Amino acid sequence: MIKIKDVHKSYGDLKVLDGIDLEVNNGEVVCLVGASGSGKSTLLLCVNALEGIDKGEVLVDEISVHDKNTNQNELRKKLGIVFQQFNTFPHLTALNNVSLALKLVLKMSKKESNDLAEEHLIKVGLKEKLNHYPSELSGGQQQRLAIARALAMSPSYLLLDEITSALDPELVGEVLDTLRMLADEGMTMIVVTHEIPFAREVANRVAFFHEGKIHEIGSPKDLISNPKKIRTKEFLSKIL
Amino acid sequence: MNYSFTLNDLLFMSQGALITFVLTISSGIIGTFIGFFIGWARSSSSKIIFYLLGIYIDIIRSVPLILQFVLFNSFMAIAGYPMDPFLSGILTLSVYISGYVAEVILAGINSVPKVTRNSSRGLGMTYLQDFIFIVIPIGFKNIFPSWTGLMLGLMKDTSLIAVMGATPPELLRSSQIIINRVHEPILILLGAGVFYYVMCYLITYLAEKYEEKNHIKSMEIR
Ligand SMILES: Nc1ncnc2c1ncn2[C@@H]1O[C@H](COP(=O)(O)OP(=O)(O)O)[C@@H](O)[C@H]1O
Ligand SMILES: [Mg+2]
Repeated sequence: MIKIKDVHKSYGDLKVLDGIDLEVNNGEVVCLVGASGSGKSTLLLCVNALEGIDKGEVLVDEISVHDKNTNQNELRKKLGIVFQQFNTFPHLTALNNVSLALKLVLKMSKKESNDLAEEHLIKVGLKEKLNHYPSELSGGQQQRLAIARALAMSPSYLLLDEITSALDPELVGEVLDTLRMLADEGMTMIVVTHEIPFAREVANRVAFFHEGKIHEIGSPKDLISNPKKIRTKEFLSKIL
Repeated sequence: MNYSFTLNDLLFMSQGALITFVLTISSGIIGTFIGFFIGWARSSSSKIIFYLLGIYIDIIRSVPLILQFVLFNSFMAIAGYPMDPFLSGILTLSVYISGYVAEVILAGINSVPKVTRNSSRGLGMTYLQDFIFIVIPIGFKNIFPSWTGLMLGLMKDTSLIAVMGATPPELLRSSQIIINRVHEPILILLGAGVFYYVMCYLITYLAEKYEEKNHIKSMEIR
């Protein structure tokens, strides 16, 4: 379970997160929506300690993420993260993209790590691309590679930051299909997305971000079909 | 005394070219080593270290190399440790090129997108694992052409060591020695130019082959 408690964060004078409270239960998919600059990406980075926080607390399985005594490298094994772009390691083949961290972080043998990497790449439909470099893959394939790489670490949670936003429209579907599959398997996910139909279909809850706050949160039916707050309505009418 | 250009002179010049090569390789290696750590320190540490090392780089890049040779040599002599000009030449060249290498290394480190580094750290890699397995290989490919350029420049700069009369003489000074006897400056300097050209060509050729093999120019991050 992920518990985000009154998290505040500023970059210099810019207040980016202004008291975020959010609990994500195991097996739950929470989608984050909101205008660009509202702090969604920053929140994800704070959840796996790629960014520090100024105030508040993040607990992952009751471990305090930003505590000085927490081994953050250890903690990050539980939290897979995928970004909008530049996820892949351009100097490594798809197989090595996945197996590198298995060797370095999970200390697997070469054979173990390659077998596991292959298994996960096959699962996301990249069987034919094991020995291809990222530059030889389409954007959608690169994103699926990044998902496979995260999943191979057997994380308990996935943090996904607009992973379809940089893709050509015809490639979005294949990536969303992969996410549907994961949701069906019960993976716990925090998904930043602008794909409202996807959020409506897959999310257990949707949170609308506005100026560093969760302005409104609820089931997809409530938040997307019947938003209560005026800003939520405005935002949704703009992107739908 | 023989006033014409002989086979021995050609051998003498070849030996000079070899010395030039040795000077380039040794100061290139030492300078790249120093520059690597300076560039790395500037990428990761505090603002204070960033600016202090920035001053080091600025000084090195603004004082003419020939002045650095003379100053360093005189300084060591005054300090009571007169140094062999050949050795002090290598040291000066190393320090000199390290300033330029440091800038290229920093550019290489910064050429790796923050997101890519967040991806590797997000998988649980440590700072050092990310640096060694992600940043160095990606950054290296990005800066390889600039680094090769620096090494070519370094090779030509080794000729400035001639002012200190270092022995064994490198290519330019061995040419001057022959000129003093043969009085055919243009011909002999042209010959020296050919030697420099061939050596540059060799380095460029090897670098290009390497780039081709590793898809360096065509490499895209995504
Ligand atoms: N590393 C950073 N340094 C300074 N400002 C940043 C940094 N990262 C993000 N910001 C700023 O924080 C605000 C929130 O950014 P972000 O979390 O990326 O929003 P979102 O993902 O919702 O678009 C933006 O105004 C952005 O410019
Ligand atoms: Mg964002």
